[in-house]
Amino acid sequence: MKRNLFLFLTLIIFSSRLYAQETFPRNDVLDKRENAYALRNATIVVDPETTLTNATLLIRSGRIEKVGTNVSVPVGYTELDLSGKFIYPGFIDIYTSYGLPKLKRSEGRSPFGRNPEQIQSKTKGAYNANQAIKSEYNAAEEFSIDGKSAESWRKQGFGAVLTFRSDGIARGSSAFVTLGEETDNNELLKEKAAAQYSFNRGTSRQNYPVSIMGFIALLRQTYMDAEWYGSQNPRPFKDQSLESWLQLQSLPQIFEANSWLNTLRADKVGDEFGKQYIIKGGGDEYQRIKEIKATNAKMIIPVNYPDAYDVEDPFDAENVSLKDMKHWEMAPANLAALESSGIQFAVTTHGLKNKKDFIPNLRKAIKYGLSEKAALAALTTNPAGMVNMSSELGSLRSGMLANFIITSENIFAEKAIIHENWIRGRRFRLKDLDTKDQSGAYELGVGDTKYDLSITGKPGSHKAEIKINDSTDVKVDMKLIDELITMSFEPEKEKGRIRLSGWDTDTPDGKTKGFTGEGQLADGNWVSWTATYISEVEKKEEKEEKEEKEEKDKEDKEIELGEVIYPFVAHGTSVLPKQETILIKNATVWTNESEGVLENTDVLLQNGRITQIGKNISSANARVIDGTEKHLTPGIIDEHSHIGASSINDVATNSGMVRIKDVINSEHINIYRALAGGVVAVQILHGSANPIGGQSAIIKLRWGAAPEELKIKGADEFIKFAMGENVKRSRNNNSIRYPQTRMGVEQVYVDAFTNALEYKKEWDAYNRLSSRTKPSAIKPRRDLVHETMLEIVEGKRFVTCHSYVQSEINMLMQVAERFNFHINTFTHILEGYKVADKMKAHGAGGSTFSDWWNYKWEVRYAIPYNAAIMHNEGVITVINSDSGETGRRLNQEAAKSIKYGGMTEEDALKMVTLNPAKLLHLDNQMGSIKVGKSADVVLWSHNPLSVYAKAEKTIIDGIVYFDLEKDDRLNEEIRKERARLIQKMKDAKKDGAKTKKGDSPEQIEFHCDDILGVARFVDFH
Amino acid sequence: MIKIKYIISVIVILVQPVFLIAQVPVPANNQENPIMLVGGIAHLGNGNVIQSAIIAFENGKLTIVADATTDQTDRSRYEVIDVSGKHIYPGFILPNTQLGLQEVSSIRAMRDNSERGSINPNVRSIIAYNTDSEIPPTLRFNGILLAEPTPTGGIISGTSSVVELDGWNWEDAAHTVDVAIHLNWPSRMSRKFDFSTFTVKNEPNEDYDKNIHELEKHFNDAVSYSKLAAKPVNIKMSAMAGLFDGSKALILHTNNPKGIVESVKFAQKNGVKRITVVTGDAAWQAREFLRKNKIAVILPATHRLPSRADADYDFPFKLPFLLSNAGVVVALSHTGMLANSRNLPFYAGTAVAYGVDKEEALKMITSNTAKILGIDNRTGTLEAGKDATLFVSEGDAFDIRTNNLTNAYISGKAIVLENKQQALFERYSKKYGHSK
Repeated sequence: MKRNLFLFLTLIIFSSRLYAQETFPRNDVLDKRENAYALRNATIVVDPETTLTNATLLIRSGRIEKVGTNVSVPVGYTELDLSGKFIYPGFIDIYTSYGLPKLKRSEGRSPFGRNPEQIQSKTKGAYNANQAIKSEYNAAEEFSIDGKSAESWRKQGFGAVLTFRSDGIARGSSAFVTLGEETDNNELLKEKAAAQYSFNRGTSRQNYPVSIMGFIALLRQTYMDAEWYGSQNPRPFKDQSLESWLQLQSLPQIFEANSWLNTLRADKVGDEFGKQYIIKGGGDEYQRIKEIKATNAKMIIPVNYPDAYDVEDPFDAENVSLKDMKHWEMAPANLAALESSGIQFAVTTHGLKNKKDFIPNLRKAIKYGLSEKAALAALTTNPAGMVNMSSELGSLRSGMLANFIITSENIFAEKAIIHENWIRGRRFRLKDLDTKDQSGAYELGVGDTKYDLSITGKPGSHKAEIKINDSTDVKVDMKLIDELITMSFEPEKEKGRIRLSGWDTDTPDGKTKGFTGEGQLADGNWVSWTATYISEVEKKEEKEEKEEKEEKDKEDKEIELGEVIYPFVAHGTSVLPKQETILIKNATVWTNESEGVLENTDVLLQNGRITQIGKNISSANARVIDGTEKHLTPGIIDEHSHIGASSINDVATNSGMVRIKDVINSEHINIYRALAGGVVAVQILHGSANPIGGQSAIIKLRWGAAPEELKIKGADEFIKFAMGENVKRSRNNNSIRYPQTRMGVEQVYVDAFTNALEYKKEWDAYNRLSSRTKPSAIKPRRDLVHETMLEIVEGKRFVTCHSYVQSEINMLMQVAERFNFHINTFTHILEGYKVADKMKAHGAGGSTFSDWWNYKWEVRYAIPYNAAIMHNEGVITVINSDSGETGRRLNQEAAKSIKYGGMTEEDALKMVTLNPAKLLHLDNQMGSIKVGKSADVVLWSHNPLSVYAKAEKTIIDGIVYFDLEKDDRLNEEIRKERARLIQKMKDAKKDGAKTKKGDSPEQIEFHCDDILGVARFVDFH
Repeated sequence: MIKIKYIISVIVILVQPVFLIAQVPVPANNQENPIMLVGGIAHLGNGNVIQSAIIAFENGKLTIVADATTDQTDRSRYEVIDVSGKHIYPGFILPNTQLGLQEVSSIRAMRDNSERGSINPNVRSIIAYNTDSEIPPTLRFNGILLAEPTPTGGIISGTSSVVELDGWNWEDAAHTVDVAIHLNWPSRMSRKFDFSTFTVKNEPNEDYDKNIHELEKHFNDAVSYSKLAAKPVNIKMSAMAGLFDGSKALILHTNNPKGIVESVKFAQKNGVKRITVVTGDAAWQAREFLRKNKIAVILPATHRLPSRADADYDFPFKLPFLLSNAGVVVALSHTGMLANSRNLPFYAGTAVAYGVDKEEALKMITSNTAKILGIDNRTGTLEAGKDATLFVSEGDAFDIRTNNLTNAYISGKAIVLENKQQALFERYSKKYGHSK
């Protein structure tokens, strides 16, 4: 055995020669070897489906020669007996930045706050106009072995990784490398193995894009630019990023999404351009597993489960959200949920603070229901397949690379050890295979003194103890390295330690067992010692086994998890409310129609519509709601809202290409809070950072539904414009972005529409070409900004413009008229009262705040009579919120026009129901209580314009989404569920789980001028 | 119905169209004749209501608060105003506000509320109170007649005063000077924006210990200083003096329950006589502590979002009820956009909608606030001997629809309710030929 060991050591020391390339200068003599091994008597897991017992693996020159149960070992192979051991294919991590240089800090300054904007890319050279498009980056060019880092992967069983640079939205190509430590030339297995993308601008500080919707828009435009660029020969100019982009399209396309919401978004972008991304998820896929499945994407999933929060202190615990507590509980069940939904996935160490947690976390996933087969596939065949490496790696078949691990038992067993990790036939020894079992009871003689020594535990993790006078146990610090032993102990307290060093005296026949050597007593005298084997230490082992069994039983206890709730935040529910036939009896009904307010009236809702209004209506199967002394109104519509989106502002002067629709966030609690204020629908507007903002989304507050399901299908398309202080970046003294004045704002509009018309001409000319000349003509470049502007001019998209002072309002109406369209809505419009007659003549609506003013210079002439004057002048007038707080009290905000301006109650209510429906072109289906319209109604406890009114039921499409009584029950359930999880977190802490101090992150409330929601720190509108 | 106030404002516009837009209403003259309001529903601010009341005042002080059906006073010497069916309230008080210290908050030149430095007890809001601010007239229009302009920022922001919302200059407007020192209790957590997740992360505040030690030293020094017979000149130390003899209140600002407990105990330990806490949702967790220690709280606007995602949607709405029901004295205030502080009466309305008795809610914006600020001997309720600071509303002043002031008096001065906003309404209604 000693000789074998020596041989192996020699092999390892010299084996580097074997792989060295012939082209490299040699600084030694010729020493070429084939490194042929026969690994025998092992359980070989060839792939997740195939396990061979008592099998042999032959490898040579870094590849697998043969695998099987009936393999005879040819001459010249080093044989290893692996009885009882397991062999698995080496694991593959396809989400790493292994061996790449650390990212440089970003050049330039953040576009937020008080810095001058960076308008152009700072990438030097003939590359893309946007600094976040870095397709030219080729990880293979920078890859270099990083031994320490490689070792951390090898220890977890990995033999190969895909590596990419984590910088930019298009991140270029990744390289596939093995985790050995030969030359870079040997370990780099495949350059340009996959193309990498993300929703993260990385080191770019260019002012566009800064939001997820901007990232999506940039991706869209880049797909189009690349197609246009690639269709021309010679190229119109040189863009090496686009050149690379085109080349990379045939590779696997990997997208870093990091959450289920972003996974759905990334997949939609892919669908638009015929790409199916492989998506790196966030470990939260179980929260919307049905939608994730529907993407058909293969997933790369992290196993970085969150730590429990420290919830010992009940006050502190209040700052931990139910969402975070539930996610802590359910995250380990994520992989099982993916498996049972039939989603193909690979697992990655990405996101783990410490890679040591990888295997334990994966085992935890198995305890939570993941099958071992699926786990193994996620480590081997799946990642190999995703990056087209299946012919080389992922399973153990003849001809494939000899990447495998040797384990003590089933790798997923709690105490399994990875003994060795072989990479391309090169052996990395992690824990000795042939550690001898030294356990037993020994008689230890140190000089003249005798002790009872017992060595317990398993090979590799032996522990020692001595017994003095049959009663006192003294712990012995012991190290066993191969055949050498070191021990030290303190036989009597405070009397100093005895330190022993020695070697084993075992004979090959096994007849003699023990140790001998020299030692030093506490007083410094040297002494000889021997330890002679007496017997096994049975009793102790039995006890240990019993303990182990108990531990196992505890673990095997069925894992109890709470339910997935929709949305995955407090006030979400596991079962979503259903459409009902509802009969509201005897209510005061505010129809918003010529009938006015009807007393003691019944309203029937069926199949999501209002089907009858009148007295004494009966319906056999309807749920009857008593409306006596209550008021029924059409649902409130918020014309200007920022709830329900993940980002609000991008910063390009013309951001017409970005779409709020791309970033709907169904999970925000403010949706529920708005429902509780009687709101049924909102227009989510882009912010006001730019003269031309992004495209709007109109949603119904279908609490619990997935983002796509919130959108009102078939609704007209809108876009946000803005003028004045925000657009001029008035709060940033260093701003350099055009425009800096209201004069410039006009020019931005004129420029945008002029360009759009030119764009149309160009396309019209192209489209007019005959079918013969067309193929040889250059197709114009598609430009999403111009297309959006053209939609406006052509009346296919409607403008909602953030505006304050009269001069700018008149300007925009004139610009619109010059281009033959009209402005649909002026929002905020706080000086609308000064130009109401012109707005009326132009046909623009006014959507205003009730009583806000004086928070910035341009609103010092804002008056709470604005709505009343516009209304009196015949302008369709709306009260909006621009705030999650005001948005849940719009009925009260409307009532302010009764106080300020003497509006009638009916007209006041219309300003938050029918009028917004009109301005959003939804009045054919919403905004009044009329037979045939959508069953979007609210039942109020009092007159809805009174400060004392509460929404008791908010109904959308005939579905009760908010119910005051149910809200009480929900609050009770939240308290109970929190209490259960707090208890569980405490138990986990007691059992030794890591906990973190701190609070849940707060969700941001967006306002108009937010850039990524920084408004909580810079509060303005 | 053409209202007198409109006629007045139309006349004013005709006479001085330019000036009225550019300037705030002319401050009222001192009360010359005794006035008697007859027949109104008087909400006294102490929990009582007189359904048909007589309220008389002269020389700026209330002289009679009585039931009209039984009162026998000779009315001949009074200017009698029939307010039958209308509601009469003590002037509402807006505490903890930057009113008059800030005009257009987005412009640095127009902000005078936050001085540099962390310990500024000597900084006094009263001298920066701008009687020409355009905002106070819009508050008066809704019934807010007194306010506590308050410095912000740092750890000890400065000393606040109470002003009447009418006057030619700050000396004129001053109701009670230097009523309270405001202390922002350092938070154990600090909030940081995290761009990668678009969320605010709360992380332990590294400066917490340092800040607390600084505060402790400051208070220790101030207590010692207050005991000295011969006091060496020290501006900051002498500014602290009122805290230990009860002439000034210490108003603590904190937004978490531990902060409430720690800051109150800190103040008590240092012998502070009058303590109040400005806090939000955290008051609910500390309610027992607050009750036992008889600490009143000033709550932010009830019209706000809950501080936590898990909270009941209506938690801020019902918090005044939950606290008063638990025996804690509550006053309401405003946070956020300064101009919106005019909605204070409706915050009380919301408190009523969520459980507070109407007259109790009135206390939250009158007498409770007056007690906290130490001005209850002069104001906060309608009682003979107190300032004649009150108003008449056509209807329930807590409800947006019916809050409609016809008369308002500050220390007996009949103030002008209309301001720039009403003038602009008139001006443009006229331009378009809209009838009223």
